[in-house]
Amino acid sequence: MSERLPAPDFDAQNYARPNQNWICGHACDGNACRPGPDAKGRCCATAECKPVLELKPGETKGRWKCTRTGGACEAGPLPDGSCCRPIAKCSPVPTLRWWRGRLTLAVIAASCAVLLVVLGNPPWRNNFISPGEISQPHSGEAFTALAATNQLNQGCGACHVAGNTGPRGMVHAALHADPGILDLKKLAMAHAATPTAIDESCLKCHAGRNMHQPSAPPVSCSFCHMEHQGRMMAATTDANCNFCHGDATKMAVAAGAGNVSEPPIHHFAEDHPQFRFITEKLRDPDTLKFNHQLHLTGATIPNLPGGQKLDCAFCHQPDAAGAFMKPVAFEKNCRVCHSLQFDPETPQLMLPHGNADFVSAYLRSLPKQYATLAAKENPADVNGFVTAKLAGLRTQFGSGEDLERRIFFSTATFGPEAQVGELSGATRALFPGCAYCHEVKAAAGGSPQITKPVQTEHWLAQAKFNHAKHLNINCAQCHDAVHSKDTADILLPAQESCATCHSPRGGVADTCAECHTYHKPPLLAR
Amino acid sequence: MTRFHRQLCAGLIALIIATAGALWLNAKYSALANYAYLTGWALLAGMFVLTIYNVRKKLPFLPLGKSETWLQIHIYLGFFTTLLFLIHLKFGLPHGWFEIVLAWLFVLVSGSGMVGLFFSRVLPRRLATRGGEVIFEKIPALRHGVKTAAEELALGKDAKSPVIAEFYAKRLAVFFSGPKNFWHHLVESRRAAGALLAELEDLRRFATEADREKIGKLEALVRQKDGLDYHRALQLALKLWLFVHIPLTYGLMIFTILHVVMVFGFSGGAR
Amino acid sequence: MPDAPTILERPQRWDAAFDANMTDEDVNRLLFTAPFSGMDAEKFPKRTPLREIIRNDMRILKFRKGEIIMRQGDYGTSAFLILQGAARVVLKPDLAPSLLGRQATGKKGVFRTLAQLWNRSRAPEVLPRSILGQSSGVSARQNENETRVFLQDVPRILDQHRTAQMTGGEFFGEIAALSRMARTSTIFADSDDAELLEIRWQGLRDLMKYDDALRTHINKIYRERALASYLRATPLFKYLSKEQLDHVAEAVEFSTFGDYDWSGEYKRLAQSGSVRPEKEPVIVGQGDYPNGIVLLRAGFARVSQKFGGGERTLNYIGAGQIFGLNEIAHNWRNKDATTNMQFSLRAIGYTHLLIVPTRVMEDIVLPSLPKNELPPPVAKADDDIDSPPPEIATREKVGAEILEFLTENRFFNGTATMVIDLDRCTRCDDCVRACASTHDNNPRFLRHGPSAGRLMIANACMHCADPVCMIGCPTGAIHRESFAGQVVINPATCIGCKSCFTNCPYDAIRMVEARDERGEFLVDQEMKPIAKATKCDLCVENHGGPACERACPHGALTRMNLNNLDSLSKWLKL
Repeated sequence: MSERLPAPDFDAQNYARPNQNWICGHACDGNACRPGPDAKGRCCATAECKPVLELKPGETKGRWKCTRTGGACEAGPLPDGSCCRPIAKCSPVPTLRWWRGRLTLAVIAASCAVLLVVLGNPPWRNNFISPGEISQPHSGEAFTALAATNQLNQGCGACHVAGNTGPRGMVHAALHADPGILDLKKLAMAHAATPTAIDESCLKCHAGRNMHQPSAPPVSCSFCHMEHQGRMMAATTDANCNFCHGDATKMAVAAGAGNVSEPPIHHFAEDHPQFRFITEKLRDPDTLKFNHQLHLTGATIPNLPGGQKLDCAFCHQPDAAGAFMKPVAFEKNCRVCHSLQFDPETPQLMLPHGNADFVSAYLRSLPKQYATLAAKENPADVNGFVTAKLAGLRTQFGSGEDLERRIFFSTATFGPEAQVGELSGATRALFPGCAYCHEVKAAAGGSPQITKPVQTEHWLAQAKFNHAKHLNINCAQCHDAVHSKDTADILLPAQESCATCHSPRGGVADTCAECHTYHKPPLLAR
Repeated sequence: MTRFHRQLCAGLIALIIATAGALWLNAKYSALANYAYLTGWALLAGMFVLTIYNVRKKLPFLPLGKSETWLQIHIYLGFFTTLLFLIHLKFGLPHGWFEIVLAWLFVLVSGSGMVGLFFSRVLPRRLATRGGEVIFEKIPALRHGVKTAAEELALGKDAKSPVIAEFYAKRLAVFFSGPKNFWHHLVESRRAAGALLAELEDLRRFATEADREKIGKLEALVRQKDGLDYHRALQLALKLWLFVHIPLTYGLMIFTILHVVMVFGFSGGAR
Repeated sequence: MPDAPTILERPQRWDAAFDANMTDEDVNRLLFTAPFSGMDAEKFPKRTPLREIIRNDMRILKFRKGEIIMRQGDYGTSAFLILQGAARVVLKPDLAPSLLGRQATGKKGVFRTLAQLWNRSRAPEVLPRSILGQSSGVSARQNENETRVFLQDVPRILDQHRTAQMTGGEFFGEIAALSRMARTSTIFADSDDAELLEIRWQGLRDLMKYDDALRTHINKIYRERALASYLRATPLFKYLSKEQLDHVAEAVEFSTFGDYDWSGEYKRLAQSGSVRPEKEPVIVGQGDYPNGIVLLRAGFARVSQKFGGGERTLNYIGAGQIFGLNEIAHNWRNKDATTNMQFSLRAIGYTHLLIVPTRVMEDIVLPSLPKNELPPPVAKADDDIDSPPPEIATREKVGAEILEFLTENRFFNGTATMVIDLDRCTRCDDCVRACASTHDNNPRFLRHGPSAGRLMIANACMHCADPVCMIGCPTGAIHRESFAGQVVINPATCIGCKSCFTNCPYDAIRMVEARDERGEFLVDQEMKPIAKATKCDLCVENHGGPACERACPHGALTRMNLNNLDSLSKWLKL
């Protein structure tokens, strides 16, 4: 018994025609008709023969003859000349290849249809073709309203020229893009970070492409700020900064253009240059004389009224934002010890602070001052009190002019030193004269010119700093005040101190953007 | 070494060298501005050459080189283009509906190509080993013949066995009526036909002497039908993978062209 | 239960007479005509008496003036004897192909090649009007059941071509008939009462066997016309001088083997499985004393070796190959340790060969060969066989099953056999579609055929070395493109007589019913469809060679020359 397939033999009479798309519908029964379907899939079978009219000479009507290939049939053709044995038409069957062709056409049609429908319908279009979520500031109703007021297009068109103009607009924009579609050379040779056409869109709202150096070459917005990356616009990375700052050539060019020469920087902890106040050995120009070491560690420094020792926090308070410290104020931070009492006998009388004219006025109105004091303490004999005090002053200091002069210009630190009473437990500090702390110059005519002290709030002007984030660090870890005797010392830490924490080893973020910003208003004067 | 081994070696070596080269270039130049454009053009060039194969197949009368050579190039370039695709995507995932559809189209086209390659190398040997050879379009007619013969045996004028007739009506009529067991044959399982044959064997217990001969003939017919089914299944598989590969290629091409238009239209020159 | 053996009658020599209408009168008349009148009937054996040879192997044909008797390039198996009237041989220049029923061909031009893309007919087998209206200078007329083609303008042909006339008693066509080579000239009848006797090759061979005069005559003209140039071209004799060659030519014997024709009976026999090597006519037997080397001129022979109770095929050899040289050379060099023929040589179907006697080989040919061209000595059976003789090696190269398969089915005849590797073929039909695209949307082969293991020989014309299809075409429509080139059919002159279709033993030719552009069948006056014979033409008109081979994406299909096994073994091993 043979297991062979039923037809190990082949058809010796006919070809197989896989190039035709239609097969006779009767082929599955093994009875494929002779003509077969035509190229469009219509059954061509009509009848078994095509009768021919035989007209013998002398006849008029003639006789229809059967012309069947296998031999004439018995019945013969019908009188009207049609064959008496029609073949039933079949339903031709398309081949698999035909189906594949149809499927291909269907896929093409479906693709085109879907694309045209979706692209022609703006809300669907934007959702469909957007290559990623837009950042939160650039989406939503607020942005739409803003776009309207700025006369921008809505939706994608707010930034993209091709945005809202449908498929035709897209094609137009593509054909006019720069570099163009086939501009392979230009594409390959494009320089990174060169401003591009889409930067114009950014600048419509974000005006002014502030470069952090006036002469720095312009950088494309999209080089650092990529849209369509999600709700949060991605933060810039060190790579963006290193694009220029890590490139020695670029830095050399920048130096040549008149900027300060900077070496290439790659990483904060590795090769960030030392802070300039150290390298250039800058000094604090403040004219106020203050000795941190004395105040923080001196034996003679009394405790504060609350009983605690004088510490950094008593004078240096963070401002409202918490980033920097409020300027040290005399009334709040100094007078508690430096009461400006000029009369050792009368410590209640204190000079006003802040304006030399006020001091002069005060001194010239001393009798009045004493009288007011007497009225409070000894109202019975005001005049006698005043007179006695003034006499005492004269004895000590000489004339009123001398007193005034001495108050303004004396730098003496010795002289009659009286332990005058407690003021809520605080010990009076020495007050020889204004010049003890201030720089006092004599103007023409002898009047004192006290140079206003300058408190620089922000030393490292190119960087951001936030004390609020550093609260868990002791002041002394960064600010070496304990060893500073001169006001001119700048008590800021060196770069290595920051790098203790802001480095891969220290574990705190050490990207450029942590401290530096790129877009800034023009440089503050130093 | 056979000619096919040589082709495989040459192709693999070329592919490995090209892959190494591409990965090295990728590491070196991936920071370039417009890198995505350059990889995109490389990918499009690869896809274009791959698509041209269909054009060559439609022009067999022109002396354009052997289809065998073209197919070798198509296969290895196909693998390489998949790598270019991954490089173009920066080895990440696409974002946005359009890009997702485009990526899926590419994955389906190249995936179906790999499936087709597997089929083309594995299935013919199975067909040849099975024995016999039929032209796919002739299978329905042959099946009809086997069915007629089986019906004649079981239900025909001379069939006098109710046992066989009942069995035929219950089990075999369905089996002979059309192509069966496609998936079984694709995974080389003989379970379905084997079960039928076992049942036929069981039937012998209830059959007379004359019937046993008929059962034997029926068994032969079952085997023949099974062989036809096997050939149909494997030849159909060899044709059907192209139903995914080719239509989706056209879809992919349309989406790709649109992708190029959109990229240039919307980029404004930015990368 | 085993099948009952199919009992077939073995084909007898004269199962089918050449012409059933040969009457006794005709036979008697012929017996009195030269050269039969001079033949001694006693010399003929009882099995094949002269009378019966005349009755069964000959027929009388009548020709009118201008009718073509044979065409140059045709294959024929008959010789002709002019009984009455005259015939003309066209000498120089050769007649135009169109006059011989062929079409002038060349490769398609660029535009025609490209136009195949859009010019394809929608319906199958559309016969272009241009072909139908071809006027070729010849016409056909039906003559009882035969078609005769006659030249329309004989005077012009006589004017433009040099011809020679032949009259009663002259023989022609015998060399082509015996050696199965193409006819060398065109011959047409020169008088209206021309009467020719056509003798088929079996009859001719037997006549030669038993009649000395005829044999001498044919030998003489064979040696004069064909043998010398053939020997000169044989590599074995390239070192011989002209005198030595003449000596060899004189000593050479030629003979023809085979009892039956290729088609018809052979096909029947092959299907019943009763074709066995043991039953084929033996040319040289294993163990025979080496009488001479066998030079095969036409046809094929099987080299086999005794194995158990039967014969094991080792190889087959075709035209131009030599058998027996190893043993003769061995004996010549080792006069003390001579050997007999190691293998036997059997004729497959029809074989025509030359035998160079051992004496001549030893005296003239072998001494002329340089040492390195002599074959190695024949190894004894119990010797270590380091390098088996080429015949055994072939068997190993190709495999026994395939060797038997090819030999049994006579596939080695093909010079462009379509071999399909079933392990690689994905049944995608790209080959068939490519063939259709180069033939106006009509495929010219069937992707199906006999198979053995991994190989399938598809039903595509093999362009045989021995094209049986070409025998008997009345109009010359089927012809060779060039000398030993592809076999093509000219649809314009094909009249659908089915001679080639019936003759082809490989089912390579298929008759198709021609249609017009709309797909309607074309019919003649009697409403019978017009049939044309079609087959693969190896894409003669197209650039780039056979489209099928080029179109296979998996390297599964090749057109291979199977006359010897080198290509096949290389392809299988690759």
